[in-house]
Amino acid sequence: MATVTYDNASRIYPGSNIAAVDSLNLDVADGEFLVLVGPSGSGKSTALRMLAGLEEVNSGNIFIGERNVTDVPPKDRDIAMVFQNYALYPHMTVAENMGFALRIAGVPKEERNQRVREAAKMLDLEPYLDRKPKALSGGQRQRVAMGRAIVRSPQVFLMDEPLSNLDAKLRVQTRTQIASLTRRLGVTTVYVTHDQTEALTMGDRIAVLKDGVLQQVGTPRELYADPKNVFVAGFIGSPAMNLFTADVTEGGVKFGTAVIPVERDTLGSATQVTIGVRPEDVVVSLTESTGLKVEVDLVEELGADGYLYGHSEVDGKRTDIVARVDGRIHPNAGDTVYITPKTGHVHVFSVETGERLGGAVVD
Amino acid sequence: MTSTTTTPGGLERPAVRRRRRKLTFDRVSFMAVFLILPLAIFVIFVISPFVQALYYSLTDWTGFSPTMDFVGLSNYVKLFGDDIFLHALRNNVLLAVVVPFVTIVLALAISVMITIGGPSKGMIRGLKGSSFYRVISFFPYTVPAIVIGLIWAEVYDPSAGLLNGVLTGLGLKGFADFPWLGDTRTAMPVSMFVIVWSFVGFYTVLFVAAIKGVPAETLEAARLDGAGRLRMAVSIVIPQIRDNVQTAYIYLGIAALDAFVYMQAMNPGGGPDNSTLTMSQELFTVAFRKGQFGYATAMGVVLAAVTLLFAAVVFTVSRLTAGRDVPRAASVRRAEAAAPLAKESRA
Repeated sequence: MATVTYDNASRIYPGSNIAAVDSLNLDVADGEFLVLVGPSGSGKSTALRMLAGLEEVNSGNIFIGERNVTDVPPKDRDIAMVFQNYALYPHMTVAENMGFALRIAGVPKEERNQRVREAAKMLDLEPYLDRKPKALSGGQRQRVAMGRAIVRSPQVFLMDEPLSNLDAKLRVQTRTQIASLTRRLGVTTVYVTHDQTEALTMGDRIAVLKDGVLQQVGTPRELYADPKNVFVAGFIGSPAMNLFTADVTEGGVKFGTAVIPVERDTLGSATQVTIGVRPEDVVVSLTESTGLKVEVDLVEELGADGYLYGHSEVDGKRTDIVARVDGRIHPNAGDTVYITPKTGHVHVFSVETGERLGGAVVD
Repeated sequence: MTSTTTTPGGLERPAVRRRRRKLTFDRVSFMAVFLILPLAIFVIFVISPFVQALYYSLTDWTGFSPTMDFVGLSNYVKLFGDDIFLHALRNNVLLAVVVPFVTIVLALAISVMITIGGPSKGMIRGLKGSSFYRVISFFPYTVPAIVIGLIWAEVYDPSAGLLNGVLTGLGLKGFADFPWLGDTRTAMPVSMFVIVWSFVGFYTVLFVAAIKGVPAETLEAARLDGAGRLRMAVSIVIPQIRDNVQTAYIYLGIAALDAFVYMQAMNPGGGPDNSTLTMSQELFTVAFRKGQFGYATAMGVVLAAVTLLFAAVVFTVSRLTAGRDVPRAASVRRAEAAAPLAKESRA
């Protein structure tokens, strides 16, 4: 068990002058499940591979526990990694795959077999121990890859999008399994994903990256309620938050014909701000009222809930709007509705910097 | 075989019933171009010379007269009492054992260094300057075998050769006039060295390509599992390129069983005491110097048989060492058939 610390760690790929990971500062507590999330090319996988030692650190340091591992080869870091495509050794059986690290470490055969068997039991892999990876299904292979990591009882688990090759249903099941397994084992875990749902459901804390720069670290709740900037606001939450530019006016910010009260101190001298409202934080009215006038394009029914997709004119520009509606009683495509945000659920960001203005929304 | 005829069997088993297809111009012309023509060429130019050779080996043909007599197996009987030929056979077997093994070990070592021998931290890569070594190692293969043989014959020259020049220059006066190719103790080893030298580069390039095809993640996983470079090469890389190694072994074995060009260039007479004489050299002598075509053809037939035997041995050894894969595959199929699908959905 150990903490993980990135101290100003940067990675610049040869032949490029833009850092793939730019001065990353991040602390992972002992036994914590930290999710690195971001769109493609955000440097999340690079950050993980730097921790694994599979990618060089051009500047800064990485610590596992108290130990500076920046220049330690991967084999001496005492970490285990689960790869996106599992990276099982095709010529070895499941048992040999799982026991390979122990064999190298010189663990006696009986103990090795016992530890492999325990891990296999935990993962429902016992009937497959003598099979080769090619004779396993995707889900089973994924579990073997997990097993290979567990058997080692390493200081840190690293997982690089381990669920992205599974089908949707299996992904949801495995998601909870992994989260509960790592919590049970109490091993510090760094988990990379591009899927914000995975991040929200699995992580103790989430670190959002964009273009190699850390945007925000926090618990899922913090990221949801108090996104630090426009990027995090738009990235976390599904469907994404409605974000558009609005004029500052007497007593607040314009929201269609309505005015949302925002304190003058928060706004400073800005004449325009970016406001964000989550689809679940709006009130939809079919009768003409104050608020934003929205033409409904489509309503997605998801059973209990539905999502209304529409567009509106804001500042003379067409803006897409999403709103959560009741799954059974809802407006239909072609209707015109008026939406207003629930009180205290409006996020305000600076137009210039994209940074948040004011405090978290009220829950 | 698409059945164009209906057999009673076909009627009994409707599961294998096939629609009878008409012999359209399309199908006939397709068969003519892609089946009949190549097959005919193969039979005329490959199979028939084999048969012809087999026939000549049973005659006393001199190669220059239009007549010959059928002598039955007497050429073969004579062959197995012919000390020179048996010596040549022994030399060839020795070549087929040593040359492929040494070449493959060296080529594997070099290709591993070029591909994964680099620093144990950061991305998996070869030693510094590995792309340069890769090109350099290929050079010998671009030189024709006969040229290689002649060059090395000069290098090994007792009085004017480069090798003795270097050795005496280093103070080893004992090698001043040492006849590398003229001493029964050294003629074969130094000849083998030349053959190995000429092949290593090519097989290095071949293995480099094969190793590049091994998924990088498995190497990274091995690294995180604590494997060093040597362990990674032995436990992860070589098992994944074993098919390439097996093919290389067979090619090299066939080349070693021939070895005509190298040996003829370095020691045209078969070396001291026939110590480097190969079957192909003896065959050449008997056929074109002694004018005994029938007898030489029998040698050729034996050479072909030895080559086939070698390939069979390599395949068998390879299958045995790959071991459990074959029976296991069968047991896996059984297990899969037996395992209820419910197992998976529980995952």
